[in-house]
Amino acid sequence: MSYQHAADNWFSAIIIALIAAAVLLNIARAKAGAQLYIRRIPGLDAIDEAIGRSTEMGRPVTMIPGLTTFGVVAVQALTIFKYITKQIAKFATPMRLLTADATVYAVAQEAIHDAYNEAGRPDLYDPDDIRFLSDRQFAFASGVAGLLQRERVAASFMFGEFYAESLIFAETGNIVGAIQIAGTTTFTQVPFFVAACDYTIIGDEFYATSAYLSREPVLLGSLVGQDIAKLLFVLTIIVGLITTTIQGKDHWLVKLLGMPGGWDAFWRAIFGGS
Amino acid sequence: MENQTIWHRLLMIDRRILYLILFINIIIFLLIPVKVRTVTSPPVRKFYDTIEQLKPGDLVMVSSNWSAGTIGENLPQLEAVIRHLMRKKVRFTVISIEPQARDISYRFVSRFTREGGYEYGKDWAHFGFIPSLVVGIKGMVKDLPATIKQDVRGTPIAQLPVMQGVKTLADYKMVIDITPSGTVPAWIAYRPKNLIVLFCPTSVMAAEAYTFLDSGQVAGMLTGAIGAQEYEQLLQREGLGTTFGNAISFSHALIIFFIILGNVALFMSRRAQGG
Amino acid sequence: MWQIETGTTAGKIYVTLIVLAFLALFMGLIPVMQVLPPRGRRALIALVTFFAGLVFAAEFFLPVNKEGENLLSPAIEPAQNTLQIIGAMALALGTYGLIRLHLRNIVQQRSQWGYSVVLIVAFLTMGFFSVWNTLAEKGELPKTTVLERGFGLLFDNMLVPLESAMFSLIAFYIFSAAYRAFRIRSIEASILMFTAMVVMIGIVSLGNIISYQWLGLPLEQTAEMEKNPFSLRNIGYNLALPRIAYWILQALNAPVQRAIEFGVGIAGLAMAIRLWLSLERGIT
Repeated sequence: MSYQHAADNWFSAIIIALIAAAVLLNIARAKAGAQLYIRRIPGLDAIDEAIGRSTEMGRPVTMIPGLTTFGVVAVQALTIFKYITKQIAKFATPMRLLTADATVYAVAQEAIHDAYNEAGRPDLYDPDDIRFLSDRQFAFASGVAGLLQRERVAASFMFGEFYAESLIFAETGNIVGAIQIAGTTTFTQVPFFVAACDYTIIGDEFYATSAYLSREPVLLGSLVGQDIAKLLFVLTIIVGLITTTIQGKDHWLVKLLGMPGGWDAFWRAIFGGS
Repeated sequence: MENQTIWHRLLMIDRRILYLILFINIIIFLLIPVKVRTVTSPPVRKFYDTIEQLKPGDLVMVSSNWSAGTIGENLPQLEAVIRHLMRKKVRFTVISIEPQARDISYRFVSRFTREGGYEYGKDWAHFGFIPSLVVGIKGMVKDLPATIKQDVRGTPIAQLPVMQGVKTLADYKMVIDITPSGTVPAWIAYRPKNLIVLFCPTSVMAAEAYTFLDSGQVAGMLTGAIGAQEYEQLLQREGLGTTFGNAISFSHALIIFFIILGNVALFMSRRAQGG
Repeated sequence: MWQIETGTTAGKIYVTLIVLAFLALFMGLIPVMQVLPPRGRRALIALVTFFAGLVFAAEFFLPVNKEGENLLSPAIEPAQNTLQIIGAMALALGTYGLIRLHLRNIVQQRSQWGYSVVLIVAFLTMGFFSVWNTLAEKGELPKTTVLERGFGLLFDNMLVPLESAMFSLIAFYIFSAAYRAFRIRSIEASILMFTAMVVMIGIVSLGNIISYQWLGLPLEQTAEMEKNPFSLRNIGYNLALPRIAYWILQALNAPVQRAIEFGVGIAGLAMAIRLWLSLERGIT
């Protein structure tokens, strides 16, 4: 039997419920008018600077969601690109959005079209600016690298899921002298972006980007809820650490949290004590 | 115009010169056979020991998800793994998650098994590719013949002698995931509890697998061509891993030399400016 | 109810009725969406999104029977297959967009239209041989020498080396990126540089040569060394480059990665909840 349902793993069921509750409660708080703080993220402050540089140089901006298949990461990447497009629309800077997933391509066309409409510049929208290059990793990489070189882009925004091709994008952008801001949830590619890009957004800062840029109450509230959930994880780790150190690995609490099973194991642990 | 010192020139060196130096370095150490003894790292030792515990007739799933791009890292791993499995006389089936991975793995495994005296259908089989790994694993956990239906040659898998008595993924002893992408979390999350997972990633993806190694969810790991080199040493059989591993070692040395050189150049050029 | 026996007459009628019902639903939806005011449209989309997500959420939380299934479990695989079919349709759309762009480049002889010619020719040639090869493998078309040679040339002699060449670029780019970035400019940059150097040397055979052959450090830990952990031999054993590299990967890299993955996982879940409940304005 594997962990395919809440019944197989009571821990995941409770944790998901707790995280959902923390997020929804803080969204409600934010909507009710609570003032919520978000710390400065230098990489995101640099977005406007990068766009300004592109406009001065008269060279295009590229937006690359990487190999992201359509899902939560792609939606977040497209939200960021929509913000960037609205900024670009103010200055009529040329742009290219290059995708490796056909579904993301279809949704990106609509998102970018909406962005230009919302910015009051529907005339600037050109469907050929959003391109599906290939769903093959290195065919996509060579297409992007070629475009970056041929069009001598001045700013490159890479947000999404990246794999081995990340360094190809980043180093090619460096060769043409582009200012590069990258954000990815793929842990293994962060060092490459750190080495080759001007600014790197790491881990869940990627998901915080939309809240940071828009300052919408719903998004800020959700961010606070996420932080509370992370705090719960830290407290669980500390409790487990202290309990294991003092009582040893055979303590019922350590067994309960360390080896989650079905609900019968949970009730046995609580009422049976071991 | 200011006279540029050698240190300034080193700092601003054309990257094409760096690429040429690295290219020559790799070619030299690919062509010159260098006998370098490696020390087996703990993940490779665990990998080897886990396969050594298999008995003749046990069934293993080899998930081969790599394509032409990562042939340099994943092919040595695949070859070493298949030869070890044949040495242990275990049955195995191969599966992929995309068409090119299927074609590549089928070709290479066919070659290795011909050399090792293994017969297709009786000792091994290839299931072709499944479009969605998670859906495929969930299906195989419930009913493998109904999920896979036929092998890469179009034969219903229930008719293959190697699959006699196999109903679900729980009938397998282990799964060996040879991949350049993040497929191992899916195997860990959805496998039957007693199915052992072994992992063969490219070097870049290995960093994220140490958490699984630490917690025991992955029983052993070969890290790219270096891992294959160490594994070949344990198998006492030199292959591509040994050749590539040596070239990689000396390339790392070259990169470190240039990093040190770059820092010396930075320090000296700052001194020259300050002076 | 989710699994249909298409071999029988009843099954065929069932499938036909379902397909017609969905067609009618979508055809009817278009005029409804046009007539509805924007608030109504958003509400309808939110409703459909909620019920679509509810299937997966409910399937996870509902109790299961002895076989590990509940009422909604048989619906999950068809739902996921449907998503794949939508993805395949989107692939056709993406391919059409790509071909249209490049054909237009050729017809209008825009800048660098030569590359577009290369793309179209490569696309058609590879597509032709790939389809022929797949049909030949299934026995529906003859497997001729032309096919074997052509497919072999395109796949083995062009695609494989090209993809390998692109991947190998990373090695060269790492060299130039490391040469440029690993400088002692700040404390963080220095720590990054030294850690990278130790791991790079420690994981390859060169680390073994330096530690065990040149410096003569102990290769294995003896019982005596375990009893005296602060002895010179035991300290030497632990200072071997391979051991330091492995420690960095296991004791530094793994916990940090776990921490980042926790944050990413929680944030991903929060975003999924916002999308499911249509709280996220995002790209809509």
